[in-house]
Amino acid sequence: MDMDYDIPLPEELESLEADIYLHDHQEYYPDLDLPEQDPPDSPPSTDPQINAQTKRPRSECTDSPFDDSELPSDEKRSRIVDDEEKEEQEDQQPYSPPPEVEQEEVRVVEEENTLSRYAFQIDGECMPVTAPGGDRVYAKICRFETEERLKKLNVKSNSNGLILEPLNVLLEKLEQDAFTKALNSSSEGQSDTSLPEKQVVHEQLWVDKYSPNSFTELLSDEQTNREVLLWLKQWDSRVFGSEIRTTSDEVLSALKRHSSIVQHQKSNNSNLPRNNWGHKWSNENFRQSNNLENEHSNSKGIQDLWNKKTRLTGPPEQKILLLCGPPGLGKTTLAHVAAKHCGYRVVEINASDDRSSSNIETKILDVVQMNSVMADARPKCLVIDEIDGALGDGKGAVEVILKMVSDESKNDIGKDNVAKEEQSGKTSSKKRRKTTSLSRPVICICNDLYAPALRPLRQIAKVHIFIQPTVCRVVSRLKYICNKEGMQTSSIGLTALAEYTECDIRSCLNTLQFLNKKKETLNVLEISSQVVGRKDMSRSAFDIWKEIFQKRKMKRLRKSNNSHGNTSDEFESLHALISYRGDHNTIWDGIHENILQLQYHDPVMQKTVKCFDCLGVSDLMHQYVMRTQKMALLVYQPSLAITVHRLVAQIQKANIEWPKSYQRYRTTLMGKMDIFKSWHFKIPPYISRHLSTKSFVEELISPLLHILSPPTLRPVALHILSEKEKNDMAQLVRAMVAYCITYKNMRSDPLPNNFGHEVALEASGFSFDPPISNFINFKGYLSGHYELSLAMKQVLVHEVEKQRIMQVSIGKSLHLTDGQKENHDLMGKGSSIAESTTIGHSAACVGADMRGDAKNVFNPRQCNPSTHTALSTLDSSRSASTSMKLKFSGDKKKPSNGSANFFDRFRKLSGKDSQNTDAAVQKATVERDSLPLLFKFNEGFTNAVKRPVRMREFLL
Amino acid sequence: MLWVDKYRPKTLDQVIVHQDIALNLKKLVTEQDCPHLLFYGPSGSGKKTLIMGLLRQVFGPGAEKVKVENRTWKIDAGSRTIDLELTTLSSANHVELSPSDVGFQDRYIVQEIIKEMAKNRPIDTKGKRGYKVLVLNEVDKLSREAQHSLRRTMEKYSSSCRLILCCNSSSKVIEAIRSRCLNVRINAPTEEQIVKVLEFIGKKEGLQLPSGFAARIAEKSNRSLRRAILSFETCRVQQYPFTSNQAIPPMDWEEYVSEIASDIMKEQSPKRYINLREVNGIRRVLLTPTNYNLDSILRILLSTTRLFQVRGKLYELLTNCIPPEIVLKRLLYELLKRLDAELKHEICHWAAYYEHRMRLGQKAIFHLEAFVAKFMSIYKGFLITTFG
Repeated sequence: MDMDYDIPLPEELESLEADIYLHDHQEYYPDLDLPEQDPPDSPPSTDPQINAQTKRPRSECTDSPFDDSELPSDEKRSRIVDDEEKEEQEDQQPYSPPPEVEQEEVRVVEEENTLSRYAFQIDGECMPVTAPGGDRVYAKICRFETEERLKKLNVKSNSNGLILEPLNVLLEKLEQDAFTKALNSSSEGQSDTSLPEKQVVHEQLWVDKYSPNSFTELLSDEQTNREVLLWLKQWDSRVFGSEIRTTSDEVLSALKRHSSIVQHQKSNNSNLPRNNWGHKWSNENFRQSNNLENEHSNSKGIQDLWNKKTRLTGPPEQKILLLCGPPGLGKTTLAHVAAKHCGYRVVEINASDDRSSSNIETKILDVVQMNSVMADARPKCLVIDEIDGALGDGKGAVEVILKMVSDESKNDIGKDNVAKEEQSGKTSSKKRRKTTSLSRPVICICNDLYAPALRPLRQIAKVHIFIQPTVCRVVSRLKYICNKEGMQTSSIGLTALAEYTECDIRSCLNTLQFLNKKKETLNVLEISSQVVGRKDMSRSAFDIWKEIFQKRKMKRLRKSNNSHGNTSDEFESLHALISYRGDHNTIWDGIHENILQLQYHDPVMQKTVKCFDCLGVSDLMHQYVMRTQKMALLVYQPSLAITVHRLVAQIQKANIEWPKSYQRYRTTLMGKMDIFKSWHFKIPPYISRHLSTKSFVEELISPLLHILSPPTLRPVALHILSEKEKNDMAQLVRAMVAYCITYKNMRSDPLPNNFGHEVALEASGFSFDPPISNFINFKGYLSGHYELSLAMKQVLVHEVEKQRIMQVSIGKSLHLTDGQKENHDLMGKGSSIAESTTIGHSAACVGADMRGDAKNVFNPRQCNPSTHTALSTLDSSRSASTSMKLKFSGDKKKPSNGSANFFDRFRKLSGKDSQNTDAAVQKATVERDSLPLLFKFNEGFTNAVKRPVRMREFLL
Repeated sequence: MLWVDKYRPKTLDQVIVHQDIALNLKKLVTEQDCPHLLFYGPSGSGKKTLIMGLLRQVFGPGAEKVKVENRTWKIDAGSRTIDLELTTLSSANHVELSPSDVGFQDRYIVQEIIKEMAKNRPIDTKGKRGYKVLVLNEVDKLSREAQHSLRRTMEKYSSSCRLILCCNSSSKVIEAIRSRCLNVRINAPTEEQIVKVLEFIGKKEGLQLPSGFAARIAEKSNRSLRRAILSFETCRVQQYPFTSNQAIPPMDWEEYVSEIASDIMKEQSPKRYINLREVNGIRRVLLTPTNYNLDSILRILLSTTRLFQVRGKLYELLTNCIPPEIVLKRLLYELLKRLDAELKHEICHWAAYYEHRMRLGQKAIFHLEAFVAKFMSIYKGFLITTFG
């Protein structure tokens, strides 16, 4: 062995070279390579393009000279390289040659392993190989030697060798030379007439030309692909009827199994069934996967469950599939390919179509509910692309879909029955129900999952988020395409391109095509300055806050080397980040919200002060910009944020919250303002004109609340109030009427078990009608405001009501008789008169109540008709809607003498009142308080009926 | 009816507080030469009362019969139409409105609605061409543009229309408008005047006022007559036979601000729980050998989170419609009460500085908090230098 390697045999060297060359060659020219395994009649690179014929002449005339000139140069290069490498190896490892052999072995082993049914399973570049039987497998291309060579070359270029220029530069030059030569020769060989033809041919974008046509060609993440397919498959029972069900079940389970395997062990590269119906391989592979399955009993359980589910109900639970992800990852392609794969005809609605809801509804209904009678009898699958794009119109589509889905869920029970009938084989698939149900799969595609228009859709749809495919897969694909197009690229350059565009295949391809057209090669170093514009990536606000509040650790290490360059770097990146985002308002809100939660060393709070100054300046600037519309000044916003970053950034992670408090403040403020405004509008103008919001909150509200609930007002029956107290009461009622304030039952239902706090709870049940007391309810602040008792409040409510009615009638009469008079004073006087009378009335009423209670307690069986009358009077006087109440009491008892005059009854009662002693009343109240049984009436239409009523009022 | 409304003077003759101004106004009207007027002065000083008295003097009792209208105006502003909702109080001869209610679109109100109103000249019963009065409230809240569009209207239609402008501060009314009006400064009533009014009310209500009680209310009222009368009535409701040392219920928001102020000052005694992050911070401080370990710990505990607590309370105040300027003013007042004389000047300076920024800016909370932070910083520095 030693001898072999020290002095390599010429044959071996050649074979090695050939091998290397083959590998190099394979990736560059798979067309040339494949015929070794393929039968000549089936072209291996199945170019599905329709215009293949138009392309033919071009490829013939261009490719052949190109190839001829290319091949030798390549071979030459590789030979040179190889020789050099050999020498080098000899230099470096004169005593340990075995690695070469080992590598070869390893490579063989790897190759065995890397033969796979799917391109995705191969981690890296692969090459399709079609067997004579038509089966197609993908073989992994191992590039151990080349890779090692590259590494070594790099090593060498770093270490200053004998050559003046680094080796890779030389190589590149060589490549360039060869390329230019080839170009020259090709252009010479071409006649001028072929030029326009070529242009026509080039019209087609590579993106379209090389878009994947079959499921296996997809570049996107495997699991997502599988799940989409699974979802589509679940429609089979409904769409295709029952005859295909068996197979579809099988496929479903296989799919399910597969995806679970992918989930559990990704490294497993075993051959798994292709998801075609009735596949040859399936049996043995099923067995294999079943073995695997036994290992993962857990997933099997899930799968069984799934199988059961799919057997019972046909379509999937979520009727809509929502694919989302950044542009260029192949969402649309996946939808199309998967749908085609499952036997659907794709109908696409995208942003270019009219998407108003009326138009789209008919369109969707067409697609979803009708079967085509035309030639293409395949069922349709609806793909709604760019559903988040147009906000105004896009909503139409979302609405229609939502409607259909909700209809669906409503009809679900009925449908189950029908599904059962279908299972029994009674119905044919042609029969369709008339309901607007969703009987075809609908796939929606969007870029931004969190677009506001999609919010309802997100809840009902099955969401798949696209993630970036691995760089090497993208690169291998790009390489394949480049080879097809005869474009010279290096994998390093392609990798750089892919990384640069964040695996956006579309933009990669466009760039390459553009470069190809310009006859330029991809230059690794100049990608940014070359044609590719960097995508304007706007990061989320959270990322920006994190950047602001958090120092980067890596940067800190570098700081020791060159602190100056680092700071400017940091400045640059932050500046770019913030200005790309642009939403300065949110960013500043976020800084404001989170800055106080940070832990930074700040002895005398100078940093905090500075930060707040920055916040203030940003606010001033924002306001100025908004007022003067000088948007150019917004440029200076990011620098302020960077100042904050310099001040407070810490290495430790900050937990950042979304700024909610300012918004909350805004909304509650608006709510309170609305309350105030509507109240302000109700107050008569001679008061309201003197009140502004400011003076209201500043000066009026606290005293007003004090005045409205005077602690001196004793919670006793009105008739035992002294004259002075009656006056106070009247004044209070007048104030309440003037300010349009009353009490309202807030119906906070007291819990049945805490009767001890009955009064407190009930009192809290009644609160001011314009909720003015809320204006002083500061958090963590206890106001010393006195609150009236419930009974008092109830009395006040009725008094206010009465007073208001009285005032209206008096106002009217005054207006009728002498409109010219100053009616304010008169009105005041009149109302005070009315007030005193009404108070007298209600006092009598309450007195009657008391007396009735007393009687009730003392001799409950002697319910003489007079108490009946008293109670009914009480009821009627208490409620604003007398008729309601009368009916109520009439229901309960025998109708009292309703024909009698209201005031007559009063006179009678007041006469009786005087006979009662005060002691009895006192006792009655004590008795009443000890019997806190409430009866709540839950029917009726007005609050007059819905009032809580004491039990004893029914007991009479 | 509250006493504030009940004892509000209806005519210029009944006025107690600003008798001289009332007299002048009366003279002005009787000479039939009423110019545009600009009333300015602090709230609760009686601007609106004087204006109403004046209107009554001009138009008689008919001016008091007003109807409230909430109208939506459609305004054609170039390419689009704007709907503006505005509440007006109008009698036969005058209209009251506050154009600043509509916010930033107030210039349309001035340009379209006020102009429209000013154009229509009323003709009184005797066939004499009278004039109409427009009362505009809160002129100082009008935007620059609106004020500028007002100036031409004032000149052009001065034959048929008089404007009475009412605002708190004339400094926010542009020069051009001020020069077109007769400026009437309404001072806040002095304490003696307030006492006089209170005693008048007490007499009318038949109340016995202990000596010095009215003076105390006046003192607490911040020289706002409205507030004085309201607190007077509150006292009456709370406890009638007055005692001279009776507690005068404070304004709730002022109490709350005072709480905030003591929160800010009380930094030295933290009463709150320590969260895990702070524990870690303390641990870090303890592990690093520095001279003032204890100090750093205290700082971690106190500095920023106290501010956070204050922020919550400030938000609470602002949520309840209390204007930020007033909050800042009151906060300064409360802080100054508890502050060393040495610092007072500096703090006042910074309060003015941040109030200025607050008025220029949009988010009041930023500036309020900035003031609190500044205060904390200064106060802390002061404490460290004086007490070590």
